[in-house]
Amino acid sequence: MRKRGLKFYLSIYRKILIQDLKSKMSYRADFVISTFGMIMTNLAGFITFMILFHNFPTINGWDYYHMLFLYGFSLVALTPVQCFFDNNWNLRFMVQTGDFIKYCFRPVNVFFYFMSEVFDVKGLGQLAFGIGTIVYAWIHIGLEVNVLIILKLILFLFTASLFMIAIMNFAAATCFWLKGSGYVMVIMFRFKDFAKYPSSIFQGVFKVIFTFIIPIAFIAYYPSLVILEPGNVPLLSWLSPLIGLLFFFASYKFWMLGVRRYDFTGS
Amino acid sequence: MGNEALIMNNVCKDFKVLNRHEGLKGSIKDLFSRDYKTVSAVKDVSMTVERGEIIGYLGPNGAGKSTTIKMMTGVLEPTSGEILVNGKEPYRNRTQNCENIGVVFGQRSQLWWSLPLIESFKLLRDLYMVPQKDYEEMIELYRSLVDIEPILHKPVRQMSLGQRTLSDILAAFLHNPAIVFLDEPTIGLDVSMKDKIRALIRGLNKEKNTTVILTTHDMGDVDALCRRIVIIDHGQKIYDNDIEHLKSYFGSYRTLKLKLADNTWEEMLIDEKTTDVMDVIMEKQKEKKITDIKILEISTEDVIKKIYEGGTR
Repeated sequence: MRKRGLKFYLSIYRKILIQDLKSKMSYRADFVISTFGMIMTNLAGFITFMILFHNFPTINGWDYYHMLFLYGFSLVALTPVQCFFDNNWNLRFMVQTGDFIKYCFRPVNVFFYFMSEVFDVKGLGQLAFGIGTIVYAWIHIGLEVNVLIILKLILFLFTASLFMIAIMNFAAATCFWLKGSGYVMVIMFRFKDFAKYPSSIFQGVFKVIFTFIIPIAFIAYYPSLVILEPGNVPLLSWLSPLIGLLFFFASYKFWMLGVRRYDFTGS
Repeated sequence: MGNEALIMNNVCKDFKVLNRHEGLKGSIKDLFSRDYKTVSAVKDVSMTVERGEIIGYLGPNGAGKSTTIKMMTGVLEPTSGEILVNGKEPYRNRTQNCENIGVVFGQRSQLWWSLPLIESFKLLRDLYMVPQKDYEEMIELYRSLVDIEPILHKPVRQMSLGQRTLSDILAAFLHNPAIVFLDEPTIGLDVSMKDKIRALIRGLNKEKNTTVILTTHDMGDVDALCRRIVIIDHGQKIYDNDIEHLKSYFGSYRTLKLKLADNTWEEMLIDEKTTDVMDVIMEKQKEKKITDIKILEISTEDVIKKIYEGGTR
């Protein structure tokens, strides 16, 4: 039997992506409007951030440029969930109507096949915006630039993104069990807004919740400390790649468990 | 591997359903309730389908057809019993099973919504790892069976229902699977499109010796395509034989039509085993003058209707 390995999946994803982009571009008005909307969304977020900092020059010891770095870091880390896993938002509709069954008839992984169907271009603007912000803050903080630190940045950005993907996987997969799962997704999606603040502002119960239960502190705060405070990195920061992988794997298993458990009622 | 494309041995499927209570109080109760009842959707169904056969799988709404198809395609696991598709249990290895089956749901397209059909075909070719040569041969075969040029470069979302169904069927055969499951492929289509679809299914079945399991409510599909039909009702198999046998299932029914002197047609259903047609005509003639006589074979549709309405045992 022929094997379908990583190479196969990457090449399939690339082909679907190219076709998808081609067809998206053919709807020009749609493309222009969504690009415009994306720029406005990011701009609005940025302006809110500026106004906030105009009034509070430091938050819990974090100054403007450090906060800006954190903000940029969270934007980049939230890009993959936006770009590659956006179909999670459609999951509950497909499960309710029974349309989800079509993903079970192909000789490929159901999770992969489902996610491959949607690539959200809007995320790319966010990525560009995030990278710009990081570079800007980087220069002003006066961090050094070398190969090692860049590699570290990429690694920790990657693992940070796994956390948000995993949170959304968990939230979306609840639809296999719950009818009102839309709320779960919306709430989880709102929580991501906390990611751009240093988690040290949260105390007691909230700190525990945002670290271990809904781990948004790992989306920007813990991983970015590796870059920002190289002399004083907490253990959780170093562990975040491992925790990220485990958390993502658990969310994938949970999602697939939902598929197996779901009984595809209706014809 | 034998010559059987599909074997089912005493297959049962139960669903656990929560006993729901009425009213607000009841729904609060339901939140904590562990009070489940078991509903059997499929009860002890066995059948064997040979390679290259086209089977009509019939039954009224809610009879358990979809559940059976979902088990055959490996989406659902049977509660008990055994299913072998191409010699393997479909639910044990879904991915592998999918390489050898094709599925079409009449109302739900499985193609990429915004892509032109040809691009969907190419993606499917890669997904199923179909060799380029086989792929090209298949497209050639399609060309010889239907006029695919007008739809080949059209995005699926712009297609009419008929074109979409046609595309879905072509897509299901593309990787040359051993079995294709067609769930109401002609639903909602006009007469000429139905004809086209039926001709296509027959052609593909003949050329590739593909086994086809067809569920439908349209007896035209059955008459045009199937020699053998299987009927289930309330989860149980109640008929499994040729269509010809079906017609004598309740006895040999014929419809007798008599044109009377006042230009009206009188119609009656006659069981030839118990009543003689000639007797009926003689009897009528005594009352009124008969100007014309027609004797019609009972249609498959009428027989099926009688079975669904519960005249089986």
